Amino acid sequence: MENLLYIALFAPLVGSLFAALFGMTPKNLITGFVTSGLLFISWLASVLLLIHVLSHGTVSANMMEWIGAGDLTIDFGFAVDAITAVMMVVVTTVSTVVHIYSIGYMDHDKGFNRFFSYLSAFVFSMMILVMSDNFAGLFIGWEGVGVCSWLLIGFWYHKADVGTDVNPSISPSWAANEAFIMNRIADLGMLVGIFLIYWNVGSLNYNVFFDAIPSLDNGLLTSIGIALFIGAMGKSAQFPLHTWLADAMEGPTPVSALIHAATMVTAGVYLVIRANPLYDAIPNVAIFIAYLGTFVAIFAASMALVNRDLKRIIAYSTLSQLGYMFAAAGLGAYWVALFHLAAHAFFKALLFLGAGNVMHAMHDELDIFKMGGLKKVMGGTYLYMGLASLALAGIFPLAGFFSKDTILEVAINEDTYIIWFTLWVTAGLTAFYSFRQVFLTFSGNERYKEIGAHPHEMPTFVLVAMAPLAILAVIFGFFMEPFNEFVTTILPSYEMSHETHHIAWFFIIITTLIALSGIFYAYKKYASGLIRDKELESSFVYRLLTNQYYIPALYNNVIAKPYKEISDMLWNKVDMKIVDTTVDGIAHFFFNNGDRTRRMQSGNLSHYLNWMGFGAVALMLFAVIASMIG
Amino acid sequence: MDNILSILIFFPAFAGVLGFIVDKNSARAYGISVASIEFLLAVWLWMSFDGSNGSMQFVEMLPLVPDFGISYYLGVDGISLFIVVMATLMILLGMIGMSIEKDIKNMIISLLFLEMTMVGVFLALDAVIFYLFWELSLVPMLYIIGAWGGPKRVYASIKFFLYTFIGSLIMLVGMLFLAYLYHDVTGTWSFAITDWYALVLPIETQIWLFIAFFFGFAIKVPMFPFHTWLPYAHGQAPTIGSVILAAVLLKMGTYGFIRFSLPILPDASVYMITPVAILALIMVVYTAMIAYAQKDMKQVIAYSSVSHMGIIMLGVFAMNSEGISGSIFLMLSHGVVSGALFMLVGVIYDRRHTKMMSEFGGLASIMPKYAVIFGIMLMASVGLPLTIGFVGEFLVLLGFYNISPIMTIIAGSTIILGAVYMLSLYKKTFFGEVTNDENKGLKDLNSREMYSLVPLVLIVVWLGVYPKPILEPIDNSVKSLVSFMDKKAQTQEAKDIIVSPKKEEGK
Repeated sequence: MENLLYIALFAPLVGSLFAALFGMTPKNLITGFVTSGLLFISWLASVLLLIHVLSHGTVSANMMEWIGAGDLTIDFGFAVDAITAVMMVVVTTVSTVVHIYSIGYMDHDKGFNRFFSYLSAFVFSMMILVMSDNFAGLFIGWEGVGVCSWLLIGFWYHKADVGTDVNPSISPSWAANEAFIMNRIADLGMLVGIFLIYWNVGSLNYNVFFDAIPSLDNGLLTSIGIALFIGAMGKSAQFPLHTWLADAMEGPTPVSALIHAATMVTAGVYLVIRANPLYDAIPNVAIFIAYLGTFVAIFAASMALVNRDLKRIIAYSTLSQLGYMFAAAGLGAYWVALFHLAAHAFFKALLFLGAGNVMHAMHDELDIFKMGGLKKVMGGTYLYMGLASLALAGIFPLAGFFSKDTILEVAINEDTYIIWFTLWVTAGLTAFYSFRQVFLTFSGNERYKEIGAHPHEMPTFVLVAMAPLAILAVIFGFFMEPFNEFVTTILPSYEMSHETHHIAWFFIIITTLIALSGIFYAYKKYASGLIRDKELESSFVYRLLTNQYYIPALYNNVIAKPYKEISDMLWNKVDMKIVDTTVDGIAHFFFNNGDRTRRMQSGNLSHYLNWMGFGAVALMLFAVIASMIG
Repeated sequence: MDNILSILIFFPAFAGVLGFIVDKNSARAYGISVASIEFLLAVWLWMSFDGSNGSMQFVEMLPLVPDFGISYYLGVDGISLFIVVMATLMILLGMIGMSIEKDIKNMIISLLFLEMTMVGVFLALDAVIFYLFWELSLVPMLYIIGAWGGPKRVYASIKFFLYTFIGSLIMLVGMLFLAYLYHDVTGTWSFAITDWYALVLPIETQIWLFIAFFFGFAIKVPMFPFHTWLPYAHGQAPTIGSVILAAVLLKMGTYGFIRFSLPILPDASVYMITPVAILALIMVVYTAMIAYAQKDMKQVIAYSSVSHMGIIMLGVFAMNSEGISGSIFLMLSHGVVSGALFMLVGVIYDRRHTKMMSEFGGLASIMPKYAVIFGIMLMASVGLPLTIGFVGEFLVLLGFYNISPIMTIIAGSTIILGAVYMLSLYKKTFFGEVTNDENKGLKDLNSREMYSLVPLVLIVVWLGVYPKPILEPIDNSVKSLVSFMDKKAQTQEAKDIIVSPKKEEGK
């Protein structure tokens, strides 16, 4: 079984290195095929491992020692248990689809080979992240996905910076740097968590740490829990570290489908799920996570309501759905969080890939106000995006219905009515903005004609490649019970109380109702065409939402600009004027004094005698004074 | 080869003298051959070194002035071994990559003399010999900056010389006083560092001595506020000068702390943790900000060197094996990475004769190989896991966390601030549109440049994934150092802070 584990882990790396060999040569289809093939192998190995874990339990492997210093030993150790197996299958499923899809999508791109190299490297990092059996290994993957996302967001690095009024993300390279730096801020928190664990437990291994939890002080556990969660906030783009995710849409769309829907952004959720013994021991932190997640759910959904950028709408919805996952995990329903993570990965990746089709058809135009009526030319994409949006909105019998509904049920079961109500309202908002986007893109008048676009459907193989995600988005919900049984071999099980069970049907109905009314409202407003409401668009709330609550502007004015100004000042004023001038001043002092006293060396004997006499008197005077003082 | 250490020290100097009779046109080939042999000798030393043994090996001892206990005393342990290997490697690769044509023969000879002094500093176990090489190292460097440097080279080289020289004089006073104290206690003279280790001194004396040594080492490191000579030196020095300066010469300072201050003055070292750490934190944060404000690529790397040296200083004063081993590993990784970054800046300077970032932009599409290697070094510089930069930085921060969580968090900002200035440098230089016509026809790396840079890339990845062959011998020597300090420390405070490893050396 160890071999399967290594195949699943290293196949993407081999693919990445292979594609890298062609990195500087013109497009070569072989890189696409080889990386996709290796990804498929990795997927196969992951599925086989999942089946093995199902019957035989955890598979673990220790490759070699990585870092050893003092009493610290870190191994390249891997363990595949139920959680990891699920993550592996989700990651490789979406990755394989995205790889195949990209062969079509990146067809005309000069950086075709480079793209596949980065993409596979990303999958490799993600596999390390989920497969490691210790926090240091997790951190390797954690930083690895950060770098790969930096490369992928900034893939079209040649684009120049433009003002935020033209493009809120400024440029791909700017967005890439923002994402990397934001994530690094959070990673510092994660490092602190790692240090705390090491100095108090003596090992970074998950099991050693989790076993030691009962014997650790509660204050310490709280610190560790907060530090690790700060790390999770960065990767999962939770408030206030959320701004990078929307800007990251500058990357090619398959990247968004892979990284910003299914994998990297769920790493934070994975960490909280993985560290469930820790968060079970510190309910205060856990409930904070739940509330923060709930807040982010509605906060992000509100920004999606008014946005005109196809990809940004989906990005906000991802943010919002991550909030749902954190809410579930924070409330102790870890398996529900994991289930929503998997379901969301499938339908959200599908949604992003559909958006990619639209972008391709519209020659990279993303403004949904300039689309409309695309269903006539892009029937397949319309079907996929409609399906994915229905799943996202939580309509029976699609995957999102089961997972989202269970989260709401958990909120009821825990008597956290604020969380329930907020998430319930968010469900309505989600349905509205999803279908606002679907209708504005695919229905109504054909506004794209005004900008002279000639949309066309993607090649058939691309649509076929997307099919697995569509099928999973439809049927995955029905696997909820077996899924529950499987992952709760590792995760704590979560049982609804009898009362919740009795009234569950009522909540299912009202949740479905709010989702349906969201869709209906979107249909009424946008299905027949776009009628712009100038008064609404100039209202304060509308502008607040389109400007993302002015948070990016705030960060720019309060952090980025002052940092630059202070840095300039430190350099010009402090380092050059004060520190260095003092040093030179001391040197000048000696030089000038030396220069002046040089005149004493006049060569005139009587001058020398004078100085000698003066010196003798001074010495005697010094001796007298010294003896008097004692 | 019993005298391998002597051979390592004097072979380059001997070859340097012979270099005067070598023809000018073959001077480069001659230099590269000598440096290769020297590097192979260093590798041979490494291969025959017993990594599980933490004490001094290949010791050579020849009394010079027996009446004063001055002897020609050499030895190598895990702490110095890899710095020597790294120094010889960087000289070799620096020579291969060197583009200087003017007075090439003199340059080669200067480099070979410099190599002698550097190797000598790290192998000397007698304070007088150590001091001799320490001061001698200034001369070839002064010459390299002063003769091949930029327009303000004379100011920069004199500043470099006088500044570090003054620091060393204060250190010399400390050394003489220490020898005097040794004579006072034992009745015999000795300048052997290992003899001084046995000396148990009153706390107050230790603090005075610590301060004297501190000036010598801190200016070399260079610690804030003694760092301003460095940007001038880097700004004016030719590429090869900057490479050697950053990769090796700065490490003499931090090495000095580990070789002298910690074992001879353990109580004072513990006592001084807070002031030293505060200076180190200022180095980390303040110079990272200054690096961000720079407009010249080379100055960004120069200031980033200071910032990273701050992390190394913290590791030295972590007082546990994790931190100290980490800081020695970081010395090596910083040597490799900053050396490579200076070479990379040299590459573009050779082509455009400017280092201003505003002159560039979009280079990634014109010089892809260059961009890839620069990118890898950038990631190593910001401490990405599985590159060489992570291991040391992680261990240092981990180690220092035991001293002060708050200070570690402030120092940890290096992973953010480092990313800020490096990524903004990369964005300004490599990303965006090619706006400057002069950049459109730039040639990508030629084979000479590839030969000097690719080995460094391989090292960056190899030691990032599998640091054990180097980390283990370092750690064994550090473990015996820390255990020794713990035993020797007199105050309870020092004993509490110094953490003896539970696992003994060699396992």
